[in-house]
Amino acid sequence: MALLGRIWNTAKSMFVGHSITLREMFTTPITVFYPEEKPPMERGSRSVPVLKVNEGTGLLNCVSCGLCERSCPPSCIKIEQALDAKGDRQSWPEAFELNLSHCMVCNLCVEACPFDALEMADVVELCSYQVQDLIFDKQQLAEIWKTSRSLRVANGERL
Amino acid sequence: MNILLAAILKVIGVLMFVGLNAYILIWGERKVSGHIQRRIGPIRVGGPSGIMQSAADILKLMSKEDFVPSGADWWLWVLAPVVSVAPAVLVYLVLPIGRTLVLRNLNVGLVFFSSVSSFTLLGIFMAGWGSNNKYSLLGAMRAGAQLFSYEIPLILSTIGVVMLAGSLTLQRIVAAQTHYGWFIFPQIVGFIVFFVASVAELNRTPFDLAEAESELVAGYFTEYSGMRWAMFAIAEYSNLFTLSALGVTLFLGGWHGPLLPGWVWFVLKSYFLVFVGIWIRWTLPRVRIDQLMDLGWKFLFPVSVLNLLGTGLYLMVR
Repeated sequence: MALLGRIWNTAKSMFVGHSITLREMFTTPITVFYPEEKPPMERGSRSVPVLKVNEGTGLLNCVSCGLCERSCPPSCIKIEQALDAKGDRQSWPEAFELNLSHCMVCNLCVEACPFDALEMADVVELCSYQVQDLIFDKQQLAEIWKTSRSLRVANGERL
Repeated sequence: MNILLAAILKVIGVLMFVGLNAYILIWGERKVSGHIQRRIGPIRVGGPSGIMQSAADILKLMSKEDFVPSGADWWLWVLAPVVSVAPAVLVYLVLPIGRTLVLRNLNVGLVFFSSVSSFTLLGIFMAGWGSNNKYSLLGAMRAGAQLFSYEIPLILSTIGVVMLAGSLTLQRIVAAQTHYGWFIFPQIVGFIVFFVASVAELNRTPFDLAEAESELVAGYFTEYSGMRWAMFAIAEYSNLFTLSALGVTLFLGGWHGPLLPGWVWFVLKSYFLVFVGIWIRWTLPRVRIDQLMDLGWKFLFPVSVLNLLGTGLYLMVR
């Protein structure tokens, strides 16, 4: 009797399994044809810290305080403060370099920034054959920010 | 001279069908498995259905280096793919494709079929021994143990049909199904045993212990590449078709069917059984070797003997 029960259970579980696979076979595949068809990035997804630009003046929000540089665990940010002719420090960066090959996308620089000058972009297609191409200067970072979408929408800043 | 010409034409026809069948089944298996896993399968080569994928695969396999592993037993290693393809081609001799369409209507057709198809094991063993590779040898050993535990239920399950039809000739077995109806109804137990045993005989999941990828790399053909590997694949898919065709012949009425010509029904039914085999492969996980032995000797064997006993009693009482 126990044997018959086992046979029945086996047959039943096989029937259930096969009905599931047959149903899956006739449902729409979930494949996304990536290079031709790009799925939308999730809001708030982060791939690279970029520099925000003031909409009114067109200047960077960054005041070159260096907090992001200090907070960066893999030290991938390099800031050079601007100096005037007399050698006094100015409140904008002369150079801002981000080495994306080191960046671990931890978001600590964004959290450290007191002037809302940094933000995580949702741009992911930045790969390159040369490491040099992964070192972005301030103009490039501002350009990437202009193509980025998610956080600005999430913050209600601009559509 | 005419006989020789006819024989050559028949051989060419069978070889073309074997190649075409492997081509279609490899593509079909990839499509079916893809859709079962909610993927798409091959689509890039040859239009949206990806039908030319197998052609691209063949070109790739032909361009590969002919590599013989060091320490391999050269003759065994080279002959193994040939030995496993040969029985796969030979069994087409007795398949009753249509009412009059059969290459040779042997009066021991079923015995011929089962004896020739067990020769596949010889190829597997030659590959496993000749490769000088522990995975190959383990796969071959498993294939041997598996074949012994499944060949017996496979043949016993067909004997019930033979008793009802009163003949070993495959054409007369098909013809007898006009009288009894399809043999799957009186011989449902025999059909289940036959189908499970044929999946095991084909070394396909859930009984693919001989080539278990996750345990033995690829089992007995681990060391093979290029067209030698392709010959194993051709043999596997050809055997899948021929065993399904035998199942159709014995249990599903062979070429009987309304409207369409007989050979169309035969091929359609065979490919339906092939589809069921693919469906099983992508549903059930692999069983352990001891579970497989249990299933073979403790379940399928007694069940097929009981089925024989029941059929014999019915024939006596009738």
